[in-house]
Amino acid sequence: MKLLITLSLRNLFRQKRRNILLGIAIALGVTILVLANSFSQGISDIMFNKIMRWVTGQVTVRFNEKGRMNREIFRDKERVMALIKNTPGVLEADEGAGMFCRAIGNGKSDNIIIVGVNTSLEITEETKKELEDSFRLIEGGWKDLENPAINNPVIVSEEKARFLNVKKGDVIRVRFRNMFGQDQAARLTVSGIMKNDNIFMQPVVFLELRNAKLIFGYKPYETASLTLKVKDAVKNSAAIADSIHAKLKPGVAVIHALTARGDKSSVADVLGYRSDEESKKKLSALLKIKSGSVEAALKKDGVVIFNTLAGALKVKAGDEIKIGFARKFEETPAEKYLKVSAVAADNPELKGNVILVNDEKFYDIYYENLPKPAPEAFIPDKDGSWAGLVSPEWILLERTANTEEAKKKYIALGKKKWKGTTIDVSTMYETASDIMKLEGVLKLITLSAVMVLFFIILLGVVNTLRMTIRERTREIGTIRAIGMQKNDVRHIFILETFFLTLFASIAGIAAAYISMWLLSQITFKMSDNPMGMLLVNGHLYFLPTFTGIAGNVALIILIAVVTAYFPSRRAANLSPAKALGHFE
Amino acid sequence: MNKLITAALINILFASALFAESRIAPILNSIDEIYKIKTDARADVMLTQQKPEQGTKVIKMIYYRRDSDDSFLIVMSEPENEKGNGYLRVGDNFWMYRKNTRTFQHINRDENIGGSDARSDDFETRKLSELYGPALGPDGKEIFSQEMLGQVPVNRFEVKALVNDVDYPKKIYWARRDNNLILKEESYSLSGTLMQTAYFLKYSIIDGRYLAVKHLYIDEFEKGNKTVVDISNVSTAKLENSIFTKAYLENLSK
Repeated sequence: MKLLITLSLRNLFRQKRRNILLGIAIALGVTILVLANSFSQGISDIMFNKIMRWVTGQVTVRFNEKGRMNREIFRDKERVMALIKNTPGVLEADEGAGMFCRAIGNGKSDNIIIVGVNTSLEITEETKKELEDSFRLIEGGWKDLENPAINNPVIVSEEKARFLNVKKGDVIRVRFRNMFGQDQAARLTVSGIMKNDNIFMQPVVFLELRNAKLIFGYKPYETASLTLKVKDAVKNSAAIADSIHAKLKPGVAVIHALTARGDKSSVADVLGYRSDEESKKKLSALLKIKSGSVEAALKKDGVVIFNTLAGALKVKAGDEIKIGFARKFEETPAEKYLKVSAVAADNPELKGNVILVNDEKFYDIYYENLPKPAPEAFIPDKDGSWAGLVSPEWILLERTANTEEAKKKYIALGKKKWKGTTIDVSTMYETASDIMKLEGVLKLITLSAVMVLFFIILLGVVNTLRMTIRERTREIGTIRAIGMQKNDVRHIFILETFFLTLFASIAGIAAAYISMWLLSQITFKMSDNPMGMLLVNGHLYFLPTFTGIAGNVALIILIAVVTAYFPSRRAANLSPAKALGHFE
Repeated sequence: MNKLITAALINILFASALFAESRIAPILNSIDEIYKIKTDARADVMLTQQKPEQGTKVIKMIYYRRDSDDSFLIVMSEPENEKGNGYLRVGDNFWMYRKNTRTFQHINRDENIGGSDARSDDFETRKLSELYGPALGPDGKEIFSQEMLGQVPVNRFEVKALVNDVDYPKKIYWARRDNNLILKEESYSLSGTLMQTAYFLKYSIIDGRYLAVKHLYIDEFEKGNKTVVDISNVSTAKLENSIFTKAYLENLSK
């Protein structure tokens, strides 16, 4: 084999001019392929790691109360945070809070997005560098956001500051509708100005997370969403999201309360019942109404109590009872009034005193006054008739694999009219899988164009080989006559093409790197142009990867070798006597 | 431990059982009573929006409301680009219809209607007394006074939201002392900023109930923005059930 390699390399250098010209053509193709692939890889990297990473996090846990898209709130942040933080592979976990606002600067108004940023969160050096690269501060510093002497200090993009006619120290007034749809107004003080080439990130105004939550109307123990940074996101994010999803299986929502009417009181467990049509049918069959009606019991504000409790409180349908219970996060207990719609016969599966409330009304009470966990509270048997009928703590949405599935899920969410809080766990690669598709399409277009180019180049390879074989016919006859086997002759020609393509590819890769360096030195001023999104700090961004380049080179070599195989076989099949007698 | 918690809860429950007599609560109940139209209704609604940067924009729509289940249908008739579009709410379902694409889309109740500042929940009939309750001052007393609004003697009182899903967490009303009709309303944000002042300029009596047929809304945040709402051709005749269907909206928009 060593001899064959030596012979093929020697032959390669015998026809320098011809092979150099052919090599240049192959190198040019490789250069274009590597350049284009690195550029499309760069676009994906910008979209995911420089935009989506900051907007949604690599893995996101979204909460929508009552299934409403605008109502992003979860009332027990620490509970979910504790589950997430212990998940292997999670590097950083933080709250996400943002709101679209109308901003008024000095005589000018425009739309902005206030984003809460947790400046006290301990972040890795890598994240810090990514942050500084993505949002380059030209005035002020991130720590200024924590300055208690300034009223709501914010960092604004240079373009937005120019449009709103504000500079450092000026006040921006904002109005917005918060997650409940309430109108809110606030005054923000410009404490820093940042530069960002991405036109879609220019409306972003950073405000310290605590201040942001306060003006949005979140309590400290509530959150809008959770964003996570994970180890080796491309490889691990889906598995980590699956693991978090599995941990978020809801239990039954229950309020362990003291109920009272007049001077009568009793401890009871208030459960919500599902109000979808199927559940209502099952409930109608299970409830044996003694006072009131099934219709009233299943109405939006339906409240059903059972015989024993009704007797203890001396209550009938139409009466009002008062419930009081300790809250998880507030010192004072909650007090609510419920109008009894129906009294039902005791059910053997419901132990103790149970009050059933339509989930629409139940969740209003439950979420607004999150009850203190009570281990003694009654939970229906998970294998019993009531298991699927009582309201869960939240509704965990199914995991989806790509943008298309996520869209369908959210359309269904709009139609289903969930009464509880929905929780959705997703990765940025799933919610923005269209970006990956775009990258794939760009790569395919490039590959197709380069393949056309290679087809032309390979015609040259075939032609060169034919000429070489013709020139060396007598030589083939000689080496065959002195004992070289057919296979070896074929291998010499194939190796010759292999080495030519390999050297040309190496030269092409080198040329591609030089071109990328040169192209990324050019500065583009595109701050008001959406195409600026494709730039990093005003420069073109390429991301060559070893696997990408190795794959391209392997493909090109394979095609060249396959192309060379047929003329090589022809050369190998020449009869030695005929070849020796060959004359030009 | 449980007994201690129970005892504490009993104390709290019964200690707070008695409320001081409210002056505001009866007014809120009275407003609900005199305003609530207990029939089906149809009306032409015209919104004239003035914004310094955008000029004047006129939005016209026809509003149908069914009393039995609080369903409603809104069909846009102006501006030209909105003509034929509509909004239909039946029970928990709320759809937006786009004439150009002939499609219905599920939307939220906090969606803006026809490019105006009005939201679909503005067209819902929810009781004021269920949404707002009396606000208390630092002295623990209701914020209530009697004064003159121009030449009209009024009760001025402050209310705060009892639920989250209202536009404004705090409002101040000026209501006529003789019949509790609201003449002026100030709406405040969560932070206490005055966001909007509304004047109810003209009332009509429909089936013995009061209906404000001309309102003026002044945006106190972005000065210069104001909206006038005119309601006309009000009818309380029974409406066909077929009106509150997708097919009707599609046919109407053809």
